[in-house]
Amino acid sequence: MAVRRIDVREKVMAKNDELAAGVRDRLRKHGVPSLNLVSSPGSGKTTLLERTLDALGDRLRMAVVTGDVQTQNDADRLAARTDRLVQAVVTGGACHMDARQISTAIDEVDLPATDLLFVENVGNLVCPASWDLGENAKVVIFSVTEGEDKPLKYPRMFERSDYCVINKIDLLPYLPFETDRAVEYAREVNPGLRFFFTSALTGEGMDEWYGFLEELCRTGAENPV
Amino acid sequence: MHELSIALDVCRITEEHIGRHRLPTVREVGLDVGDRSGIEIDNLQFCLEALLASPPFGNGVPVIRRLDGDELSVTYVEVEENGGT
Repeated sequence: MAVRRIDVREKVMAKNDELAAGVRDRLRKHGVPSLNLVSSPGSGKTTLLERTLDALGDRLRMAVVTGDVQTQNDADRLAARTDRLVQAVVTGGACHMDARQISTAIDEVDLPATDLLFVENVGNLVCPASWDLGENAKVVIFSVTEGEDKPLKYPRMFERSDYCVINKIDLLPYLPFETDRAVEYAREVNPGLRFFFTSALTGEGMDEWYGFLEELCRTGAENPV
Repeated sequence: MHELSIALDVCRITEEHIGRHRLPTVREVGLDVGDRSGIEIDNLQFCLEALLASPPFGNGVPVIRRLDGDELSVTYVEVEENGGT
């Protein structure tokens, strides 16, 4: 029996990256910036989007693709805040979204009539970091209930993100969470991170977030703020 | 748990290559996995051992080389010519 070695040298997930490039091209063609919201479960991604849709819905045409392992509860919550289509992806056990799901989801989105696309990823601080969905940037939502050292424990997610929203700051008086330390840890992992400090529940700190989104839409997908 | 998705993509790549060479029995699949690739290697090994032991791969085993950086690639596929035993 002869044994033969075939030289391969092929990147794993090249297919996903190819699909993500296709998504990015389609969004760029229509001038639609896109943000991939990533976090652990329960950080407040859906509440952040609810409040954003409420506040900016008159000024920006926002489309949302939500991902959950089961249920389309998040999509239902967001659909109640906008007349625009909210696409729900139920991953059926998978711990992340992939570019094929986004490509299929945006088939149904009226891209020429869209100013901004949000992807609300599956709540998980590990796996979604590895999957390019064709977004302009990842935004990691980091709740003050999680502990300051999450960036050190899950460095890849913070490395791969351009923006960090420290959320639920209304709870700071009741928690031992030290915001400065959290920021320091996150900057240790990714010195270029831009921070927002918000309570999506009370609205505190949200104006800066809204301003960022509006600026992003003005400058376009090619020039992230 | 995205290691299963990664393992399935490794199988897709392997299948493409053995199909191209019409050599169905896989002995080994070589991978380079960087320590910053976000992969839990024991988990990936477990998934690949299960998948590569099933048709159409015969009884293949993964051989994982750990590297620095974020490399994640299939480097080679070792097959038995003439279909093997």
